[in-house]
Amino acid sequence: MSGDSVDRARAHESGAGNRRAVRDSGRGGSGTVELPVEGDLAAGTIVLEEATRRFSVRADRGRTLKEMLLRRNREDDGGPAPVTALRDVTLRIEPGETVGIVGRNGAGKSSTLRVLAGIIPLNRGRVSTSGKIVSLLEVGAGFGRDFSGRENVFLNGALHGLGRREIEAQMEAIVEFSELGHFIDAPVKTYSSGMFLRLGFAIAAHLEADILLIDEVLAVGDEAFQRKCEARIAAQIEAGATLVLVSHDAALIERTCERVVVLDGGGVSYDGPCGPGMAFYHELMGTPVAE
Amino acid sequence: MPREPLRYRYLFEQMVRRELRQKYKGSALGVLWYLVNPLVLMGAYTVMFTYVLKTRFEPPIHDYALFVLVGIVTWNFFQQAVLGAATSLLDQGALVRKALFPRETIPGTVVSVQLATFVTILGLILPIVVIVHGSLSGWLILLPFYVFALFVFALGLGLGAAVLHAYFRDVAPILGAAFLPWFFVTPIFYRASNFPGAAHHAWLKSVLRWVNPMAPFIEGIRSVTFDGAWPGWATTGYVVAMSVGVFAGGLWLFRRLAGELAVVV
Repeated sequence: MSGDSVDRARAHESGAGNRRAVRDSGRGGSGTVELPVEGDLAAGTIVLEEATRRFSVRADRGRTLKEMLLRRNREDDGGPAPVTALRDVTLRIEPGETVGIVGRNGAGKSSTLRVLAGIIPLNRGRVSTSGKIVSLLEVGAGFGRDFSGRENVFLNGALHGLGRREIEAQMEAIVEFSELGHFIDAPVKTYSSGMFLRLGFAIAAHLEADILLIDEVLAVGDEAFQRKCEARIAAQIEAGATLVLVSHDAALIERTCERVVVLDGGGVSYDGPCGPGMAFYHELMGTPVAE
Repeated sequence: MPREPLRYRYLFEQMVRRELRQKYKGSALGVLWYLVNPLVLMGAYTVMFTYVLKTRFEPPIHDYALFVLVGIVTWNFFQQAVLGAATSLLDQGALVRKALFPRETIPGTVVSVQLATFVTILGLILPIVVIVHGSLSGWLILLPFYVFALFVFALGLGLGAAVLHAYFRDVAPILGAAFLPWFFVTPIFYRASNFPGAAHHAWLKSVLRWVNPMAPFIEGIRSVTFDGAWPGWATTGYVVAMSVGVFAGGLWLFRRLAGELAVVV
C-alpha cells in the first residue's frame, strides 16, 4: 500500500516523516480555529474539526467585472443568504472504518466529500487526512472523449498523480475488472453511462487508496457490476483502507458500512453504528421501513 | 493545491496529448490550418500597403510579405495562447470541480500546445524567410531563447487571465476586445520607426518600442530571423525582465485565487 500523503492547499507538513496533511482554512486571520493537533495520524485517518463551509447561492451576484463596478455602491438587494453546507462538523474516522454519509438533498453530503478530497477549502475549522486519497465523485470527469478507454486509464491515473509505469503495471487488471473487452480500445464517446462507470470505478479501484471517497456513482452500474464493486471495496477495506460513501441507497449503505453519519442542515445529527443510524435516518426522512 | 510538480509531470504530458488530439483530431495536416490565417493576413497587408496605399517605408522593407508573416505568426501564438488559457478553467470545469490536481496544469497545457503549433509553423516558414530574404545568420541561434521568453510571458498572462476569468466572466471578452487595437499598435506590419510622426518625435518611437510589452518580443524574433541581426542588449534584457516579471505575477495571482476554483467554476 502506498503511503505517501496527498499534499494540499496550504498544507503544512510538520516534521520529517510525518505523513499528515493538515489544511487550515481561512487565510489566517480571525476565522482560523486553533485546535490541538494530535501526533502522527496513521494512513487512512480522517479528522474534521469544526469544519464550516458556506456557499453563495446568489444567482445575480456580480460575476462580471462590469456588474461589480456597477453594483459597487449599491446595498445588497435582498437575495438569499449564503447556504451553510457544513456547520461545525467534527468527525474522526479511523483507518479501516467504513462510513456511510446519508441525509436529504442539500444536507452537505457531497460538500463533505469534496472537502475531504481537498477540492474545496473550508471557511473555518480544519481537515486533516493521512495517506493516499482516491475520490470517485463523478464518473468520467476528465475523460478525453476522443480517447480510447485505455488512453483514459493513463489520463485518469495521471490525475491521481501516478506515473506511466505505475499505471502500466495495473493496466491489465483494470481492463479485466471493467469487463469492457475490446471496447477498451474504442473512444469513450461511444460508451454508455454504465460503461463509463465500469471504467471509472475500475481505475479508482486499482489505485491502492488509503482513503476511498465515493459519491453516489455506483447506481448506474448493473446489479452484477455493483456487487463486484462492493466486493472490491470490501477487499480494499480488508487491506486497511478507509471508505467514505455517500448514497441514497439505504441497502447499499447497510451492506457496506459499519458506521453511519446522518447530516441534516449541514450538521451531524447522528454518528454511530449503521443499524440504529439507518433507523434514525428513515425516521428523519419520514420513510420508516416496515419490517 | 498540490505543489508537487514532478509527481504531476506525467499528468501534464497526458493533458498535452489530449489537447493536441482534440485540436488536430489525429490529422497530421491539422497544423497547416494554422498557417492559413497568417498567410491570408500576409497577403492582405502586402496588397494593402504595397499596391493600394503604395506605402514607402523608410528605410524600405524588402520582401515585405515575409516581414509581415514573421510578425503575424508570432502575434497569433501570443493571442491564441492567452485567450485560450483565459477560458481554459471553465472549459475543463468538470475536472476542476471533481478532481484534485495542480490547477496550473490546465492553462499551462493550453499555452504549451499553442507553443507546439507555433514552433511547427516557424519550422515551416523560417527556411523560406531566411533563404528568400537572404538573412541567414548566426543570430538565428538566439531564436529558441526569444521564443521561450515569449512562451513564459504568454504563460504568465494566461495564468492570470484564466483565474480572473473564472471569477469574472467578462475577463476573456474584454481581453479579446483589447487584442485588436493592441495588434495595431504593435510593430507587426511596420517598424516602430515607420509609425507616422515617429521619425520626428523620438518619444513616440520609444513609446511604441518600450511601453507595449509585445513590441520587443516581435522585434527580437524578427531581428534574429528576418533581419539576421543582433536585436541589441536593450531588447534582450527587456524580454527577460518582462517574461520573468509577468510570469511571477501571473503565478502569484493564480495561486492566490486557486483555492476557491472548484466553487466558482
